[in-house]
Amino acid sequence: MNTDTQATSAIGLDVGTSRIVAARRQDKDVQFQTQLNAFVTIPFSKLTQSVLKKERIPHVAQDSEITVYGDESERFANLFHKETRRPMLRGVLNPEEADSIGLVQRIVILLTGEEQGQGQKVCFSVPAAPLGADAEVNQHEIELKNMLGKLGYEARGISEGLAVIYGEMENSNYTGIGISCGGGLCNVCLAYLSVPVFSFSIPKGGDFIDSSVANLRGEPATRIRTIKEESFHFNGHFANKIHQALATYYEDMIQALVASLKDQFASVQNMPKLNRPIPLVLSGGSVMAPGFRDRFEKTLRETELPVAISEVRLAASPMHSTARGALVAALSEL
Amino acid sequence: MVMRSVLVRLLEWRARRFSDPADRLQFLRRSVSGPVAKPRRLRRALEHLPVLTIAFGLVLAAGVLLTSGRHALGVTATANSRPAAPDRKLADASYTAAPVSRVWLVQSNPQFDLYSNGLRVENQYATSAQPRHYLALARTATGASEWRTEPAGIVFHTTESHMAPFEEDQNQMLRRAGEGLLEFVQRQRAYHFVIDRFGRVFRVVRETDCANHAGNSVWADESWIYVYLNRSFLGVAFEAQSNPRAGDAAVNAAQVHAARILTEMLRSRYDIPAANCVTHAQVSVNPGNWRAGYHTDWAANLPFRELGLSNNYREPPASVLLFGFRSDSLLAQSGGAGVTPGVEAAEGQLRAEAAARGLTLDLYRERLQRRYRDAIRALAEKSAPEEYNE
Repeated sequence: MNTDTQATSAIGLDVGTSRIVAARRQDKDVQFQTQLNAFVTIPFSKLTQSVLKKERIPHVAQDSEITVYGDESERFANLFHKETRRPMLRGVLNPEEADSIGLVQRIVILLTGEEQGQGQKVCFSVPAAPLGADAEVNQHEIELKNMLGKLGYEARGISEGLAVIYGEMENSNYTGIGISCGGGLCNVCLAYLSVPVFSFSIPKGGDFIDSSVANLRGEPATRIRTIKEESFHFNGHFANKIHQALATYYEDMIQALVASLKDQFASVQNMPKLNRPIPLVLSGGSVMAPGFRDRFEKTLRETELPVAISEVRLAASPMHSTARGALVAALSEL
Repeated sequence: MVMRSVLVRLLEWRARRFSDPADRLQFLRRSVSGPVAKPRRLRRALEHLPVLTIAFGLVLAAGVLLTSGRHALGVTATANSRPAAPDRKLADASYTAAPVSRVWLVQSNPQFDLYSNGLRVENQYATSAQPRHYLALARTATGASEWRTEPAGIVFHTTESHMAPFEEDQNQMLRRAGEGLLEFVQRQRAYHFVIDRFGRVFRVVRETDCANHAGNSVWADESWIYVYLNRSFLGVAFEAQSNPRAGDAAVNAAQVHAARILTEMLRSRYDIPAANCVTHAQVSVNPGNWRAGYHTDWAANLPFRELGLSNNYREPPASVLLFGFRSDSLLAQSGGAGVTPGVEAAEGQLRAEAAARGLTLDLYRERLQRRYRDAIRALAEKSAPEEYNE
């Protein structure tokens, strides 16, 4: 797996609701590149377009609008006092946005730096289907696969939770529970010796927390997200009502995750016999709030699960775990 | 139980010898899920065995692990959800498929299409049907099934229609029979292509659409399982009978030549592997009585070699191997040197799989049949349910 050819011929893609992360191996290291999976539209003018071109801001002009996408979309949203929009919603392509797949494609090209792939293996993350939403997830996976195929890649989807396991659980031979708390969903997977036993997702992620608190406090979701990312922590003392509300909805998300995990264990058939306690890894942007891990572990330990958990740990780099795992999966298929 | 524990620990120990995470993952997936091993990687895996420090017994146990670990590990929730891949050695025949050369469309008009390999396809009976859209089921437990619109293979049929003597003074009868047949096939949307007795190739159902040619049917290649091949495979019918009069060949040289260049065109355009070019008898099933070979056309004597294909009669039928169908006595009678060796090989593998799991053959078959019912149910939920019969 250490030849130069293999090092450059596989890509892991974490196609998340709020960010897209690409992972590639370079020599012994893994390089990550990230872009916001977002865009903003601004009115078209030749002057604006020429400035954007000059400044190399990723954009596309269509009819009377210019769409700025990727990381720059947030800056332009602030500049024009607008909210960014998302090509994806709750883990899948946003049906409300007409060209969602086209925008995801443009952001992928930004990340890979190539207009056309050359048959490289790409493993991209797909959410596990939330209850009753299999068709949506299937369609999402097909569209991404087709898009990547058209770009010249040999693409395959990998369940997001499983990707976390491949990215973080090498030491346990890919046995354990991987959880990715992203913007749109929380994805969970239990794998035994690399084989997925079950995967599921719950429709509660960072966006759920932001929008719930925003509704409750009458503030824009963007502001809530900024507060959440910059100053929130689980320490039992809340500086203000927004922090208090954030803690409530984080708690709701954790409770829902642990309860779903318990339900899933209860319903899974032919559970493998685990010969030792298994690790659990938390990843994704929503687990980065200080104190989240402790809070999650406390709730988990209070819940009776049929398997013993050896440790609950945060991924070394929670924003990159899924992409890293997708890369490992892609490399393993070479 | 103790054995299982030892095997798991051995597997884990061996996995830890791989410092590269991708190599380790590949080793584990191969050992636990049993996907196709790449020889280079297998060699590399074996290189990691510190031979000098391993007792003979451990090596022996590791050998057992490689062959039967899948069953002993008890990863039954998903890893064992699909049976083992067929033994590809069985496919070793005295000839292999010819490489597919690129074939392109030279001329196209409402009357005919002309291709670069000399194939001319008549279009006057061309018609549309339901657009192709089907689910290919991943054969490995870790793989995801995928929706597709391109054909995955070819099923060869005989029309079993009336055959006038192939003689000059029968021209009028031969032409009339052919036209009647084509009108019937068009009405029924029965095949994608018909090769008449003069070796002309008629397009009936367009390749983008499904034809009603295979009914309840199953096939699998190394990576994918296809159920209900009307949706996934193209149907090519020879105007012929499987059991012609004594001394007559089922098809003539003109038909064989036409079939060869048609197959070449289809394989080139749709990237169809030779292993997925099969006969109706190989794929047909009757879920009512769990018999394989409900239809017996081309149960033997399809000239695979002349069509540029490997001898797929030697392939263990997926219906028997993966879903527990039994060989029909009629199929056995019709099969002879055709499907019979493949069916026998599949039965042998089935017995071995059952023994490895500590099950009786009947019990193992029942489990496989349940998988077929589950697969049909899953497909029916995701597609038009009336198309699938349990």
